[in-house]
This record gives sequence, structure tokens and C-alpha cells, in this order.
Amino acid sequence: MSQQEPRPLSTLLPGEEALVYQVLAKGRIRQRLLEMGFIRGARLKVEKLAPLGDPMELVIKGYHLSLRREESQCILVSEETG
Amino acid sequence: MTTIALAGNPNCGKTSLFNGLTGARQRVGNWAGVTVERRSGQFQGPNGPVEVVDLPGTYSLAAQSEDERIATRFLAGPDVDLIVNVLDASNLERNLYLTAQLLELGRPMLLVLNMADDAARRGLHLEPQALAQFLGVPVVATVGNRGEGLQALRQAICSAAAGRAMARRPDYGPELEPAIAALEREIAQEPDLAAFGPTRWLALHLLEGTAEAATAVAQGSRAKTILARVRSLAGQQAVDGATLLSEHRFAFARELAERCLPQGQRDLTDPSARLDRVLTHRWLGIPIFVAVMVAVYSLTFAAGKAPQEWINAGFGLLQAWTRAHLPPGELASLLADGILPGVGAVFSFVPVIMLLMGCVAFLEDTGYMARAAFIMDRPMHLMGLHGKSFLPLVMGTGCNVPAVQATRTIDARSDRLITILVIPLMSCSARLQIYILIAGTFFPPLQAALAILAMHFLGFGLAMAVAKALRLTAFREAQATFLMELPPYRLPVLKGTLLHMWQRASSFVGRAGVTIMAGAALIWFLTNYPGNANRGWRDQLHRQQAAVRALGLAAEEEAQRLAVLADAHRSQVVNSSFAAGIGRKLQPVLAPILDPDGSRPEAWKDGLALSAGFVAKEIVVSTMAVVHHSPAEGLGETLRRQSGHTSLTALGFMVFTLIYTPCLGTIGMILKESGSFLWAGFSLAYGLGLAWGMAWLTVLGGRILGLG
Repeated sequence: MSQQEPRPLSTLLPGEEALVYQVLAKGRIRQRLLEMGFIRGARLKVEKLAPLGDPMELVIKGYHLSLRREESQCILVSEETG
Repeated sequence: MTTIALAGNPNCGKTSLFNGLTGARQRVGNWAGVTVERRSGQFQGPNGPVEVVDLPGTYSLAAQSEDERIATRFLAGPDVDLIVNVLDASNLERNLYLTAQLLELGRPMLLVLNMADDAARRGLHLEPQALAQFLGVPVVATVGNRGEGLQALRQAICSAAAGRAMARRPDYGPELEPAIAALEREIAQEPDLAAFGPTRWLALHLLEGTAEAATAVAQGSRAKTILARVRSLAGQQAVDGATLLSEHRFAFARELAERCLPQGQRDLTDPSARLDRVLTHRWLGIPIFVAVMVAVYSLTFAAGKAPQEWINAGFGLLQAWTRAHLPPGELASLLADGILPGVGAVFSFVPVIMLLMGCVAFLEDTGYMARAAFIMDRPMHLMGLHGKSFLPLVMGTGCNVPAVQATRTIDARSDRLITILVIPLMSCSARLQIYILIAGTFFPPLQAALAILAMHFLGFGLAMAVAKALRLTAFREAQATFLMELPPYRLPVLKGTLLHMWQRASSFVGRAGVTIMAGAALIWFLTNYPGNANRGWRDQLHRQQAAVRALGLAAEEEAQRLAVLADAHRSQVVNSSFAAGIGRKLQPVLAPILDPDGSRPEAWKDGLALSAGFVAKEIVVSTMAVVHHSPAEGLGETLRRQSGHTSLTALGFMVFTLIYTPCLGTIGMILKESGSFLWAGFSLAYGLGLAWGMAWLTVLGGRILGLG
């Protein structure tokens, strides 16, 4: 039942799963992230990185989404407890 | 008449549903004041015609982007009788987020579970009736791209449009609901605010912190009270309004999704993920992407070449016919040299536009375009562009005109504008003809090939540099996000793609065509007057031609001599034209590039040929033949003898040609796609400035190195 410190989504490796902890971005980007499903507790899975290392592909709310490192750095995720 | 609005997420199959509902009877235009496309059509209902408006696909109605503002304004406005919310049935939860917002408008609504076949294939068992009962809104299942369920949808639309809104709405919980109600009471006291939509709608937008709502309220007399209340509410909560509202909406969306899928999400296999294992693979992804680019390029420009040549040949015949059948004079000249080349220039772009837009639509509809952007985004983003900028830039090396239109796939306006503005720096195939002439004449073969190659690299490098510069200056404020859905792979519908190609081509001819024709007529006037109106010269030509005919020579020789006389007359007209005058006046400006030693008395003719090339770069070579009074085949020889170019000024000329201005076709397209004279003018002005600077540096550098 250990819960680790929340860390940026950008540090996750392909194949890893986590829960959204907090969206740090402000303004428009924040609004957009929320609408796309990055709300507290939402489960996501990192699918892969683009061949050149950025952006990242992940699955959230049952669909595939890509986002750049500068966006994934603004999202804190936590490991699943249990 | 009943008006219905189609609203839904991008990639929910809205467009094919729209095509299915309205058939080919569609009107394509723009939303007032913006360049976002507005598509509408009609179908016959039992109680008269039903007008269908296809709204831009959006994930939300928070009015953050141009698309969202358009959709929001239209949906909250007075024209809508029924909102038809199209959902991707295989991706319900996220699609239902928008539904939650739409329900807040309190309007009659209808839900469409589209792509029901996809959902079934993924092992999802839909229960539309359960959802309809819970929500109090009719729900219809369709397969839009195969036309299934369309008849039922039409019937449901007609009966729902007559009904009243009695739908369940998202509940924001015991903390927020009283606050929303209090805010509503304040708003209700200001009748002017009714234009924004229902009171609850505005209250939610205020809590969410959207700029449009704040502006709408700020104009009223109760602005202070309302905004103070919003602020105090925001202060009471641990998290901001936007977060709370979106969390409640997603909770609501999840509940709806569970009603509709009582057996749960049994996501067995995801065929797209299997395809993606190859198509966006670490090593295979890039080679596959390159192969796709090559295929699109060859299909567009190799297959587009033949019809383009037929169109050009056809207009050539028309020109010849005009010259032969109209009495020689100003009218014949206007038609044959002013109007027909302009119309020809417009139509000659149509084949490549249709082919490229067909390919782009195909890539978009299959879902590969998003993957292409995913693969190319890193290097493009580094230069201030977007992953989706890459394809238009590459296509620009074939022809800039369709390339500018291909930027339509880029969602964010700033990304799109920057891409549009740097496309003219990509060296197109028309410029290649000029390089071949100039480099072939003034360089030995190997160096000529290298110089031509260098032009293409220089163009690409400059495009990257200008993009970065624009991003750091004019577009610094515009934060574009990359959040991009990677939709499931799907087979496109041929009919939809063909309709799309047709609409793209006809909108180009209709809207960009006028600009191109006007420009072509202007250039004709500048290069033909006042000499064209000089009766003395014309009479002289006729006397000389009559004298040749009187000699009674063999037909072939006579024709040749007549042509020589006509060419001489044309040279006389062009070289004494307003454009020539401008060319001579501009000579001091261009001298540092084209005549650094002051030893080229004919340098102004380069400027004249380049001005004519504004219509289309293809014209530069033929104009050079006219101004140097040379037969087309021996033009290189004539230039070597007469023009006085050194290899260094020739290189400067090539650099200038690469950059100096987009052709009229491109300007027309930029004007249409950016919707702004300012940006079209900017692309022209920065091109000229940059061309001068780069060509000057080339010549200067060459002289320092002791060349030329």
C-alpha cells in the first residue's frame, strides 16, 4: 500500500500506468487538458514515444492521445496504490 | 424552416453523416469574419425542408479556439431548432463530455451513436434505449459512412425538432449548485445578457473563467456585482472552477456511458494499436512515413502533370484562335495576352489541387495524418512549426498553391499561419525552369547541378529560420498545444473524398481565381502599355508584314519572316512599357545584386522579367526571350552574348528568384486561406526584402572570395 511522491508524466516509460494527480499548467492549456480527460484520478497508460523521442502517445479515457514533453511535464501523476 | 446543428468531437464521423443526410446539395462558405469553413445543406422532411448546419468538430464548448467560439455562438444563438450531437460509439466517455455541455444549453437535443459497427467489432453492446430513457433525449444508432440508420435519423430529427427540451442535465453537487443558482439570479436581472444564452449557461462559463463570458458581463451595469461574486466563489473552493466543472462533467459522462453500455467496456482487441506497432515503430516509422510522402508527391505532381499540360495546351489553342480571328489590336491583345493567361493560370492549378487535397483527405480520414504529425513533430516544433506542417512544406517543392491549401489539416491558427507564410520559400517546380536556364547558361554542368540543388536547400533552410523568427516575434503570445488525438484507423468513404476534392477545387477557382485574374490583367497592362496603343508602331508592323507577303515566298519562309517581325514589335512594346520604366527606375535598387560593377547596361531587363514572373514563375523565361529579343531555343546563347551576367550575378539572380515573391496563384491562395490582406501583403513584402538581402549577401560573399 505504498504511495510514492507524485511525479511528472514525462518521466513515465512506455508501458507504465498511473493516475492523474494534478494538472500544473495554467490558462488555455490547463482548460484543454481537463477537457481531454486529465482530471484527478483518471487512469492513463503511456503507449510509446515517437521515433525521435517526442511527443508521447498515451491512452486515457479509452482513447489514444499524443502530447509533447513540454505538456507532459505539467501533469503530475501518482502510482496506483494497492 | 427547421434548422438543426450537427455538433460533435473531431473524428466522430460527423462529416460523412452530414454528407449522408444532405446528399450533394451542400453550400460551402465561411463563418462570418473568420476563415473556418461553414457547410450547410438540406433534406426534405414531412413538414418541409430541414436545414442542416455542420459545425466545426470540437472537444468542448469552452470557447478557447476559433472553432469552439463559432460552434458555441451558433448553438447559443437564435437560429437553432435542434442540436444533433454526434458521438463516436466506440469512444463514448470522452465524446459524452461535450454532450454534458450541450445539455446545459437547455435546447431540444438528439444523440446519435455513430460508427455503431466499430463499437460492435470492439465487443461493445450498445443500448440506446436505456440512454434515451435516462437522459430524456432521443438516441439513434447509425453507421454514417455506410449510410445505415439515416432514414431513422431523419425521422427522429423531424419529430425531435417539434418537441421541447426535457432533458437531464449534469448536477454539479451540493457545493456548486447553490452558487450557480445565486449567480443565475444576478444574471437574470440584466436582460442584455440573454443574448449569451441561458442564465445557467453563462453562470457556468463565468465559473469556468472563459474570457468571452467575462467580456459579455463586463459591458453590463451589474458587472461589478457579478464578477465579485464569481471571485468570492472561486476563493471558497480549494480547486479552481474549471477543474471542478470538468470533473463533474466527466462523472456525468461516465454515468451516461455506463447506462449505454450496461455490460461494461469489454475492450478485447484494438486493431489500431496493432497497426501502430508498425506504422509508428521506432525504426520503421520514419521510413514508412518517407514512403508515404513520396507516394503522395508522385501521385500529385506526376499524375497531375498531364491534365495540367492539357489545360495549358487548351488555353494555348484559345489564345491562338483569338489572335487569328480577332482584328489585331488592343482588344485582341487584352484577350489573348491579358485574360486568357490569367484564366489559364487559375485552371492549370486545379488538377494538382484536387489530387493533393484528395491525398490529404485520404490520409486524414484513415487516421494516418495524425501519426505523420506524431512522427515529425519534434524537428518541426524545434523550428516553431507543427508536425502537420511537414507535408505542406514538402508539397511546396512541387507547387506552392495546393501546399498552402494543404495546411487546412493544422488545427491551431498560429501554427497554420506560420506554415502558410513560409511555404513560398520552398522552391517550386516553376522556379526550377528558371534555374535550369540561368545555371545551364552561366555555369559548367556540374556546378550548375550543385547550384540548383543549393537553391532547394537554401529555400528549406530559410523556411525554417523564418518560421522560428515568426514564432519568437509575431506569434509569441499564441500558445499552441499539441494535444492531438490519434484516432482509430478507418477506411475512408470514396464518395466523401471525391466531394471534398471537388469542394476544395471549386472554392479555389471561385475565391482565389478573382485575385489571380486581376493580378494577371494588371501585369499585362504594365508590360504592354503604352506601346500597345501606339498606332504608328502597329501600322509599321502591318506595312512590313504586307511587304513580306508581297514577296511571294514559300509558305514556310514567309511565316518565319512574319514571326520575326511580330517578335520585334513585341520586344519594342515590352521594352518601352511601364514595367520597363519601373525596371529602369528600380535599377539602382537591384544594382548591388545584378550589376555590382556597373558594367551591365541590360540588367534592368532581369527586373522586367521578374516582374512579369509575378503572375507565374513560368512566365519569367518566356519574358526573358521577349525582352532580349531572342528565339526561345537560343535563349541561353543570347543571354550569354547580350545579358552581361557573370556567374556571380547569375547566382545572385537565382537566389533572388527563389525568394522574391510568391506567385499570384500563391498570393490568391494565401489571401483565401488566411482571410487577411495583411498576411498576404506581408508574405509579398518580406519575400522581397529577404530576397534582396540574401542575393546581396551572395554577391558580396562571392566578391570577397574573389569570384565573379
